[in-house]
Amino acid sequence: MTRAIHPVTLEVVRNALYAIAEEMSVILMRSARSPLLKEAGDLSSALTDADGRLIAQGRDIPIHMGVMAFTVKEFLKRIPAERLREGDVWFLNLPEVGGNHLPDVKAIRPVFAAGRLVAFAIDLAHWADIGGAVPGSYVPWATECYQEGLRISPIRLFSAAGPDRAAIDLILANLRGRDEREGDIFAQYAADDVAARRLAELTERYGAETLVACFDALHAESEAQMRAAIRALPDGAWEGEDWLDDDGVDARPLRVRVRVEILGDEATFDFAGTAPQARGPVNTTVFIAHSSVYYAMKALVAPQVPPNDGCYRPLHVRVPPGTLLNPDPDRPVVGGNHETSQRVVDAIFRALAPVLPDRVAAGGPTTSGVLIFGARTADGRWAVLYEVHGGGEGATAERDGASAIRVHMSNVMNTPTEVIEAEYPFRIEEHALRPGSAGDGTHRGGLGFRRAYRVLAPEVTLTSMLDRRVVPPWGVAGGTDAQPFRITINPGPNARDFGGKATTTLKQGDLVLIETCGGGGYGPTAGRSAKARERDRREAYV
Amino acid sequence: MRSSVGVDVGGTFTDLVAREVSGRLRACKVPTTPANLARGVLNGLAAVRPAGLPASVAHGTTVVTNAIVERRGARVGLVATRGFRDVLEIGRMSRLHLYDLRLPPKPEPLVERRLRLEVSERVGPDGAVLLPLALDELPAVVEALKREDVESVAVCLLHGYANPAHERALKAALAPHFAHLSIGSEINAEFREYERASTAVLNAAVMPLASRYLDELVAALGREAPGAVLHLLHSAGGMMSPQAARARPLAMAASGPAAGVAAAAHLARRLGLARALAFDMGGTTTDVCLIADGVAETSAQRKLGGYPVRLPMVAVESIGAGGGSIAYADEAGALKVGPRSAGAEPGPACYGLGGTEPTVTDANLVLGYLDAGRVYGGSIRLDPDRAATAVEALGRRLGLSPVEMAQGMVEVANANMLRALRLVSVQRGYDLRDFALIAYGGAGPVHAGALARQAGIGRVVVPAHSGTFSALGCLVSPLQYDAVQTWRARLDAWDGKPAEDRFQVLEERCLAPLLDEGIAAERVALARSADLRYTGQNYELQVPWRSDAGALRGAFEARHRQLYGYATGESVECVNLRVVARVRDTGVEPPEFGPVGDGESAGAQRAWFPETGEVRLPLYHRATLAAERPVLGPALIEDEWSTTLVYPGQRCAADRFGNLVIETDL
Repeated sequence: MTRAIHPVTLEVVRNALYAIAEEMSVILMRSARSPLLKEAGDLSSALTDADGRLIAQGRDIPIHMGVMAFTVKEFLKRIPAERLREGDVWFLNLPEVGGNHLPDVKAIRPVFAAGRLVAFAIDLAHWADIGGAVPGSYVPWATECYQEGLRISPIRLFSAAGPDRAAIDLILANLRGRDEREGDIFAQYAADDVAARRLAELTERYGAETLVACFDALHAESEAQMRAAIRALPDGAWEGEDWLDDDGVDARPLRVRVRVEILGDEATFDFAGTAPQARGPVNTTVFIAHSSVYYAMKALVAPQVPPNDGCYRPLHVRVPPGTLLNPDPDRPVVGGNHETSQRVVDAIFRALAPVLPDRVAAGGPTTSGVLIFGARTADGRWAVLYEVHGGGEGATAERDGASAIRVHMSNVMNTPTEVIEAEYPFRIEEHALRPGSAGDGTHRGGLGFRRAYRVLAPEVTLTSMLDRRVVPPWGVAGGTDAQPFRITINPGPNARDFGGKATTTLKQGDLVLIETCGGGGYGPTAGRSAKARERDRREAYV
Repeated sequence: MRSSVGVDVGGTFTDLVAREVSGRLRACKVPTTPANLARGVLNGLAAVRPAGLPASVAHGTTVVTNAIVERRGARVGLVATRGFRDVLEIGRMSRLHLYDLRLPPKPEPLVERRLRLEVSERVGPDGAVLLPLALDELPAVVEALKREDVESVAVCLLHGYANPAHERALKAALAPHFAHLSIGSEINAEFREYERASTAVLNAAVMPLASRYLDELVAALGREAPGAVLHLLHSAGGMMSPQAARARPLAMAASGPAAGVAAAAHLARRLGLARALAFDMGGTTTDVCLIADGVAETSAQRKLGGYPVRLPMVAVESIGAGGGSIAYADEAGALKVGPRSAGAEPGPACYGLGGTEPTVTDANLVLGYLDAGRVYGGSIRLDPDRAATAVEALGRRLGLSPVEMAQGMVEVANANMLRALRLVSVQRGYDLRDFALIAYGGAGPVHAGALARQAGIGRVVVPAHSGTFSALGCLVSPLQYDAVQTWRARLDAWDGKPAEDRFQVLEERCLAPLLDEGIAAERVALARSADLRYTGQNYELQVPWRSDAGALRGAFEARHRQLYGYATGESVECVNLRVVARVRDTGVEPPEFGPVGDGESAGAQRAWFPETGEVRLPLYHRATLAAERPVLGPALIEDEWSTTLVYPGQRCAADRFGNLVIETDL
């Protein structure tokens, strides 16, 4: 901390900063075009200080937030601060520049006060298409990053003079659905713009000096809280691992392994023993590895601590190069963002289950369950339906898991049947819970669900990018494992089992049934009360 | 000629305002009778009897709100399209708490799974019947629900908004077996199945108890005030008939905040305030709402108890900051104010009822912003010593003197409230300098002056009758009905005819209950609007209707620019059509009752303001303010129900209706 801040000023500034980040998210969510943003909310926003250190975040998704703790820092290594001007908005999506995967495009705006750089506004939005080999830009058979779509190194799309049409057009020329994408670009610009205006009001009121001192104080406060939370844990080292089903190219499971060492008020996460980098798109970046560590620690020991740069300082992450979590930059990564990141959380939870038995949840739908349907409409344009699928939450020491929910790193919503049927050539024939999918235990897991898509267009491409189809969600402390995902094309005599990282062409009349995983159970099955079992039977949950 | 009465039932008091034939208003408060709310209403009516037998009673009730909060709804059955009964439990699949695994990530489903039943049928998004309704499956459904003693049944089928034929057929078939039916397409003919089902089911859950309450009330009124017409306040700030309230009781769920906002909107119309903010600061929360051109802003969807409800409600932004909000230093040593509140029990430390933690009210007392010599709420005396002790203890932890600490608490509380004010105005593209602040609620008139100055608001109005403002809201709110219909069409391939046809159906539906009451069609203002979006967006903007596609697009782009700062050339589509039918103001105005006193102060006390330090603060009685002699701040103005603080540099005068108007030079 540089100097003491009046506690009243700090509290007022803190609330104002949170309000700004929140307002950014609302603007982005409401004015963006991608179906993911509009119904599903696959977006995040944040403020950082002049060095790119995270200060405040809006409504967010944990994957993004850990990543954005790095994006501005890495951006500044490419684009030195001297080159930044008032009114600039820079866009980028390179995984190696504080990123995760190509569809998540970040917009960064430097904020100045009296000529001095004081902060950045950054927002992130998942675009429904970023080019590449298939509609939706999820290429399950990709073996190089170049097949995954347009790689945007930091580029200035807006300046004080207005939008740079030539640069925007270059980007739009490489994507499917240019109108929608243009709307996304402007929505991201609008969110950054409002943040810059609000920060200007704040600096006008308190002065840049005070504001920057508040940033430092907020960091110090969160750091102290995180250190206190770690200090409450016993010193020691614990190991945990979990497995990805496969990488989409080679059909064998891949291990994520972690050794967690708690020493005093610091924790180290060493991923030695994790599988070598994969040929297929389940690799991910070191930023995602960090992101998963941050999430896991926050959820396990510090849910109330405001997440910012300070809160991450006592956490050390070691990722050997050449592994799944630290691959060469030309490796494909699209699925690693939401599949491998979740497996990192699984490994950490399994490692810490003996230390924090009352905090961990059993395994659940630690996958985004992505299915992407691409259909050409009558006017020749692409309609891309991007569907995420949750499942049953893992049980805890306190309660049964919830049914049909998202867990851990993601929280993207579903798209209503009535929206899909009105806007895409599909009919949903069933959307129901999947009885019997949960793991048993003193507390049982939540239920997965079934959703069936009937194809109404002449030709549709289907791409899957999900996990937990082979390796099931795990039970804990004596609870049993849950049922994994299953995808079936045309259930019945000619049924075809469909892979978790695969692509195919469907014809009119085909039916795709996805059955999602349940959650693992917690505690011995003999410990479940007769009353709970009676309710499970009565409501046909089992 | 007989009087008309507005009755608002709150948690502690039932408030009444009666308008005599002469136009004179008579207000009173009686204790609320939680065990039998209708009894409290009748007690109140007896108390205002001197105003004459009421010809009409306008009533705001929390009977529905309480049932939802306390989960006392009836046992409900749901009839859904085959394959979709679990939509109610699946919801939108997202969790409420991102990081806290200890908390349940979604609320329990509103209807237990065994009471969610399915029938074979299917309608498409365009209303085409893809599979006819299998009515022969219904006897088994009825039997299953009867066996479980289901009292009320919701029917919500896929795309029922586009073609309600199957839902209507089910309604007809279920009607002989169940007294209460809540039909999705009747409650809310809008797309997105989970939100519509949630609305229909919650409505079903409160139908039986709302019905019983209305039965009791109507019967009692028949005895005590024969011939009086009863109307109920709904969440959008208008009145409806008992018949409408029985069919759609969920519409009363937010009538509590709606009552105050309705009164504020009426005041804005009377005073010709084009832009106003209703600011209601109570003990635990502060509610704010935008009022543009005399109409309170409404939102089409909110959450109640974690469940989405899609009925129009006043767009109140509520934050956990009030007079009872407790200040404390958190584990990191940071100063926090609220959302934890001392409430009414034990209340602020200065109440002397056992509270020891410092609250915003204690800080106000330490700073001299409240009168320690007065009795509040009939029995409460404020104890400055207790307030000082509580504030001082926190100040020691943070290294601040008692006065600094109290000022800090007030500043943090004001910053929280300012955030709410900005949320409903600046963040929706309005300039606060155009606004007037209408302040009510116990603590509102103490803080309003400071907030106005910080926000750049030039004028604060503290209404007459602020102590019974909600009851006044009931009295002055017109009958108002609304309807919505999903209708999808792109503006670049526009045909006005189908929209016009649908609007006419909606208008007839809204007018019918008004005509039934004998109200002439000329007295009804019909307002059409449409929900529009860029094709591909999913948040719609509601804009006033224009039949010309170009004009409609222009209105949409203007609103988009106002909210988000940009507009593009992309195609625009319409998704919903909306109608509001509202009976025009009758023009009957309460009489003017200008101030009559000599304008002399009635004493003084010490106070501290950040910009002046310690000063002498004169006290005035509201009733004695002189018309032509504005009071210069700092000053404290008191009446029976509230305390208004005029800050240094501000001036305050009573207008001809008895409202206090505080002006600030910006």
